[in-house]
Amino acid sequence: MADRDPQELLKEEARVTYGQVPHGLGGEILAEDSWQLAGDEFLLRDGANHYFHYRKGGGIVIERGEGVDPSVEALWVNGSVYSALACINGFMPIHASAICHDGAVYAFTGESGAGKSTLVTALVAGGFTMFCDDTLVLDLSDPDQIMCLPGHKRLKLTAEALALTGAAQEEKVGQGIEKFYARPAAVYSGDALPLGKLVFLEEGESLAIEDIKGAERLTRLNDDHYTAFHFAAARQFDPASRFAHMARLAGQIEMVRYVRPRDIARFDAGVAHMQGYITGPTQKDPNRR
Amino acid sequence: MLKKQLAMFSETQIDDEFVVMVLDSGEFLSLSGTAGSIWSLIDGTRGRDAILAALAEEYAVPSSGIERDVDEFLATLADARLVADA
Repeated sequence: MADRDPQELLKEEARVTYGQVPHGLGGEILAEDSWQLAGDEFLLRDGANHYFHYRKGGGIVIERGEGVDPSVEALWVNGSVYSALACINGFMPIHASAICHDGAVYAFTGESGAGKSTLVTALVAGGFTMFCDDTLVLDLSDPDQIMCLPGHKRLKLTAEALALTGAAQEEKVGQGIEKFYARPAAVYSGDALPLGKLVFLEEGESLAIEDIKGAERLTRLNDDHYTAFHFAAARQFDPASRFAHMARLAGQIEMVRYVRPRDIARFDAGVAHMQGYITGPTQKDPNRR
Repeated sequence: MLKKQLAMFSETQIDDEFVVMVLDSGEFLSLSGTAGSIWSLIDGTRGRDAILAALAEEYAVPSSGIERDVDEFLATLADARLVADA
């Protein structure tokens, strides 16, 4: 990990220029719609002619061939490419949206479509501070605590989520993508903060917030999101090192499951439940649900 | 004496559970309750009989009532090459 301020480092590394890039790393031409991560380099190919290349210290270079769709460029740069460059620089991105409260980050994770962005936007409308959308970058350099870096992505919501949360609709994310950029009710936090809770979004009939304990804390870290694949590719863990890494996270991250019905009519009640949890008494209260 | 084969696995304790990863296969074992107790008792100073006696005392049950389960679990650990006679 560099001695520099992590946010400044990532901002500088994520600068974008345009030009020609290699079409493969390590002598292997990259197939369409795939990526390679090798050492300090990352290459992503979107379709036939759209390449995104990152080299540590060299920033992001985009090569636009004929017929590319520039409208999706921001998605790739802020998504996969940023994830990979964060990993190459020693950070750990995870698939989560987050708010912060009382100096700690509450991160919400779940599969795509689980409602992470929608919940976070609604919580922000209720007075919490926005921290990030879709990708949460963790700084693991302090062995005693896990720090979170504020979000770099613009909030993206479906039309339904915009209506639910009251966030201001901005332009469409890209051609053929049924999401809009959205402006949350409050500004983003600019400060790196410790991770308070990692909340797993689940669907169920009754509202419940329950601690995740024991081995499940470790197995929950087996994510199949691209951020996890980038991290694994950058770290090149052997099995024992990977286990030690997961054991550290499982030991340091407080995890809960947030079960709620996916029912628009009960959305506000679910948000209120989570608001009460975040602002309520400590987790040590045995009656806390 | 039964001894853990430290080169074969990594382990951690989370809350009251042991999580063991078999390095060869990547398989995870979650050991809680009596399985966790047995795992703790395999410290290189006890054999099968001493483990059985200690477990019976810990859970205040007769050895004869748990003998079969203990043997099965120890056999599972041995098959996975996590434990061997020292």
